[in-house]
Amino acid sequence: MSELLIKNAVVCDPINNINCVKMDISIKDGKIVESVSSGAKVIDAGGKLTMAGGVDGHTHCAGKINVGRFMSPHDMRMTNVPGLSGKEAPTATTRAQVGYNTPNAFAIGYRYAKLGYTTIGEAAIPIIGARHTHEEFEAIPILDKFGLTLFGSNWQVMEYIRDDEPEKLAAYVAWGLKASRGYGIKIVNPGGGEAWGWGKNVSGLDDPVPNFDVTPAQIITALAETNEKLNLPHSIHLHCNNLGKPGNYETTIASMKLLENLKTSRDRQAMHVTHVQFNAYAGTSWRDFESGAPQVANYVNSADHLTFDLGQVIFGPAMTMTADGPVEYANSRMLHAKWSNMDVELEDASGVVPITYSPKMFVNAVQWAIGLELALLVDDPWKVMFTTDSPNGGSFVNYPEAYTYLMSAKRRTEVIEGLPEMALGRMNLPGIDRELDLYELAIMTRAMQSKIYSMDTKGHLGVGADADIAIYDLKPDSIDTTVEYAAVKKAFSSTAYTIKGGEVVVKDGEIAMTPEGRTYWVNAKVPQANTDAMQVDLAQKFKRYYTVNQANYMVEDAYLPHPVEITTEAL
Amino acid sequence: MQTVTLSLKEKNAVPIEADSVNTDNFASKPKDEIGAILVWYGNAQVAVDDLFDVVVDGFGSVDEMKIIINGDVSRVKRIGQGMSAGEIEINSNVDMHCGSNMTGGKITINGDADSWVGCEMKGGEIVVNGNGGYYVGGGYRGEACGMKGGKITVTGNVRDYLGEHMCGGEIVVKGNAGLLPGISNNGGSIIIEGNTTMPASEMMKGTIIIKGTVLDFLPSFTEDGTEDVDGVTYRKFAGDINAGGKGVLLIK
Amino acid sequence: MAVITDAICSLCGSLCDDITVTVEDNVITDVERACILGRNKFVGMFLHDRIESPMIRKNGELVDVSYEEAIDEAAKILVNSKRTLSYGWCSTSCEAISKAIQLAEETGSLIDSTANVCHGPSALAVQEKGGPSATLGVVKNRADVMIFWGCNPAHAHPRHMRRYSSFSKGFFTQKGRKDRKMIVIDVRKTDTAKIADQYVEIDQGSDYLLVTALRSAINGHEDVIPDTVAGVSKEDILKLANTLKEAKFTCVFYGMGVTQSRSKYKNGDGVSSLISDLNQHSKAVMIGMRGHYNVTGYGQVSTWETGYPMAVDFTRGAPYYNPGETGANDVLTRGDVDAAIISAADAGAHFPQDSLKYLAKIPVIQIDPYANPTTELSDVVFPAAVVGVEAEGTAYRMDGISLRMKKLIDTKFKTDEEIVVDLINKVRELKRGA
Repeated sequence: MSELLIKNAVVCDPINNINCVKMDISIKDGKIVESVSSGAKVIDAGGKLTMAGGVDGHTHCAGKINVGRFMSPHDMRMTNVPGLSGKEAPTATTRAQVGYNTPNAFAIGYRYAKLGYTTIGEAAIPIIGARHTHEEFEAIPILDKFGLTLFGSNWQVMEYIRDDEPEKLAAYVAWGLKASRGYGIKIVNPGGGEAWGWGKNVSGLDDPVPNFDVTPAQIITALAETNEKLNLPHSIHLHCNNLGKPGNYETTIASMKLLENLKTSRDRQAMHVTHVQFNAYAGTSWRDFESGAPQVANYVNSADHLTFDLGQVIFGPAMTMTADGPVEYANSRMLHAKWSNMDVELEDASGVVPITYSPKMFVNAVQWAIGLELALLVDDPWKVMFTTDSPNGGSFVNYPEAYTYLMSAKRRTEVIEGLPEMALGRMNLPGIDRELDLYELAIMTRAMQSKIYSMDTKGHLGVGADADIAIYDLKPDSIDTTVEYAAVKKAFSSTAYTIKGGEVVVKDGEIAMTPEGRTYWVNAKVPQANTDAMQVDLAQKFKRYYTVNQANYMVEDAYLPHPVEITTEAL
Repeated sequence: MQTVTLSLKEKNAVPIEADSVNTDNFASKPKDEIGAILVWYGNAQVAVDDLFDVVVDGFGSVDEMKIIINGDVSRVKRIGQGMSAGEIEINSNVDMHCGSNMTGGKITINGDADSWVGCEMKGGEIVVNGNGGYYVGGGYRGEACGMKGGKITVTGNVRDYLGEHMCGGEIVVKGNAGLLPGISNNGGSIIIEGNTTMPASEMMKGTIIIKGTVLDFLPSFTEDGTEDVDGVTYRKFAGDINAGGKGVLLIK
Repeated sequence: MAVITDAICSLCGSLCDDITVTVEDNVITDVERACILGRNKFVGMFLHDRIESPMIRKNGELVDVSYEEAIDEAAKILVNSKRTLSYGWCSTSCEAISKAIQLAEETGSLIDSTANVCHGPSALAVQEKGGPSATLGVVKNRADVMIFWGCNPAHAHPRHMRRYSSFSKGFFTQKGRKDRKMIVIDVRKTDTAKIADQYVEIDQGSDYLLVTALRSAINGHEDVIPDTVAGVSKEDILKLANTLKEAKFTCVFYGMGVTQSRSKYKNGDGVSSLISDLNQHSKAVMIGMRGHYNVTGYGQVSTWETGYPMAVDFTRGAPYYNPGETGANDVLTRGDVDAAIISAADAGAHFPQDSLKYLAKIPVIQIDPYANPTTELSDVVFPAAVVGVEAEGTAYRMDGISLRMKKLIDTKFKTDEEIVVDLINKVRELKRGA
């Protein structure tokens, strides 16, 4: 029975409509409660900004990131911190840390915790590789984790769509989530992963996938319908076709329009479109390349069925990694950069390529602006999840820097002054004067995640919520965030306190303790008859095409030492 | 002018890592402060004067600084790493990474230099009066650039991967070079007076001159007439064509 | 009698997961579907002498001691060492590897895997150019051309060709071997070469030359290729290049003939560039033929825990990586460590003489189920359970797919993981008085 009382917190908690109000927070046994006894341990927040622990709903933190690490000893030389070693260890708490864009697993946990984040979502789990993802989850200290499972180029999925077998499709997706212990449906460049099996790609929503006679549009629609049939906590999570290509904003809007009329099973969006910065490009080539953010933002403002995240670019070195295999190959040839690729049997593809975003490069400068334009031109912050698609647009350690771009027009102007003239004509950012306040920032970094992932105990500080709390060394009543952006960046870079499950894990920017986090996954129940029928087909897949037996395919309980199983009933 | 003479007291059991032994770190410091500077000896740090006899003569800024190193330092790594000015003279064979990342000044090694000498250096000069190891003037694992500036001269032979990923600067080897010198050269200048094997693979930019015999010439260069350098006529090759490179390779 | 199906063979990097094992009275009496090598591991383990007791070398002889005494002695060696080499960890589970890495961090040691003497150069190649690869099932279902370069699966990975490559049948390769062109590039006509459609014999150590010539051919620069490269005629090189360009899907399987011959990692680096070039015309990937059943897993765990796949040096606290300097044989031949801990690998049998001579001079701790040449060099010896037979845990196939190995029979021996955890605790106690 541990009790904690946080006094004099200036709470910013959009889920509960609390906008920087001074109050106390009571915690008991890892949860937020109405009140605690007089014996509770007390933390005096002293008027500092207090938010729910941040939720990064789309980051690459386990699995594919290891490919990035493996090929990047140059990245590992950056930001080294010694750990337990030596006769007099510098610390008894933390393991050694290496790397910047692709840090080791320990560093991921410590660094997110220092930013006040307590929950992260891995953006892509190949089912056959899921065991690996969960091994890395287990190695990441402190944070709660969840992951999205790839279904967008899966043979069984495409065959069921082609053969119009929605019940079997639902049974397969439910099985795939269970096999991978995934939290939701991820679709990456639908159909493109299969085409990449032959070194090809699909060109758009209506370009049929080679040999499977389905289109990307059909894959998106059918999986979205399945998602609702299974009553999943999250919507489909879509990485659109044609990522990274000038003119792709049209594909993005067309993809969004596909689900305008989808009836959702829960009170949440029908689709989440991810890292839209990479999919909001206008122009017809890199020569006449320009921002397509206004077009996308206009559509999003007119629609009420979707949310999206930014994929904001941070200037400097980054590491691109995606299940979008053909995009990574194209990147490597264009950038003359090293290229890793991993095609995954029957399921998907992937690639990893390093990149550096330079403010002096016209294309990079416009990319930087597009992310910010999307955030600032979309009126409703509840539709916008803040991400850099870490480390694709840049490492998550740069989030505080990016917050200052969103919160201060003055800061943006400073950066814009250093950009090439040619870039300025291709962006709209200089004309935008909107500045987010702390409340809106809290929405984009934790509150909207609570809703879009249907995580009632995350992203807010109401009674019953997990006691995951960030206290920042910043007093909302005495700071002008539009001007004092250096102080904002400093405060968000390193919390005064991060509390995870009621325990102080960071104090004054230092890791205080490293409990193990939990892993959320969704067990979607479907009628047994449907599963049985699906299994007949699946057994053939294993017998004839997979190189792993079905008995060895499912992730075992041993890989989720702290599971949180979310059960849903099919409609 | 300040001269610091370090003499290794006794042979070390495991390598010493002496990146703190450089002119910038020693300049304008009295004997006791220099002696107290820490170096790594295995997994613990020890003071310079625990391992070396320290003699300090005079007092001066880094530009007027000279460090003389005596005794067998063939297992002392990273001497002169990152130095920006002044001079280091090593009267022994020296271990790996000597002068890596240096930006200025001069290191003279009167003996052999083990691998990664002058790795990723940006300026200054290194003279090896002996043989060099692997990766002379190269880059560390996974890096896009090795040496970017400055000059390395090796009077003897060097082993494989000379100037790997070089992006600038100059290397002269009076003797022979091992396999694949100048691989992925991207702007550096290399002269090998002796023989070598498979030079200039994946060269993007820069110039490589081989005065001796080339073994296993790689089939990825286009012959482009001849060029005279210092009165000697060389066959001129352009490439590496597989890398879309525009480097110049001159051979006899 | 128990019959265990879908057991995983923990012998080579193929990690076959379709084995049926029969256990009677805690002895494996029958094994179905395993190759001869795998069968020997399962059944043969009852024929080999196990290390029965912890031992410490006293007056030149290894004598039985209590487990506690051995832990105490080993921890003292580690704590008093200025720099320990921890080596091996490839015939064990990822869980044990993780703890071994923690022990190395705690003790400021250098830790390396058996990749140091096999596919380490493949990692260096990936760090230069990336690793364009695929899971084995992709090859099974799609590849119409496969090259075995410097590897001999007929001997080293006996079921590879049937399960994953030449003879396997898949979705787009229903006719199996008939749908595929099999090419072997090697310096001698191996048994694998004998069953290939085409055998390209090259001069010893000339892999890099051939890769370069193939790239020039594929990139449309035939004119720079001389009449013969690497002992292969220009005509044959152009033909081979054409085969690759016209293939639907090519996989290059490569082995130690590529990674350990002249130019070492630059050969793999070149093959990676070749694959990238080929993808301008068709689809191509490369997969290393890894030996020890979990050497791939070592690379994975080490990478997510330390940032680097092998040869990680914790001497100065934060991980440092520089093969050529921090590899097991680098430090042994140079005498750069003063103690060693060796587990789940036999340095005694596989290291060069210079390394062994030095190992004989320094205190060595061994953790292993079986006495082997390393035991002769060891000062403290721990018997361990056979992972994959007597202990469960995770292993990674050569293509990076991880599988859970089952525990098939009971054992009185502690697992590698348990022994290392005890060592960590003892080291902490000695370091901190905790």
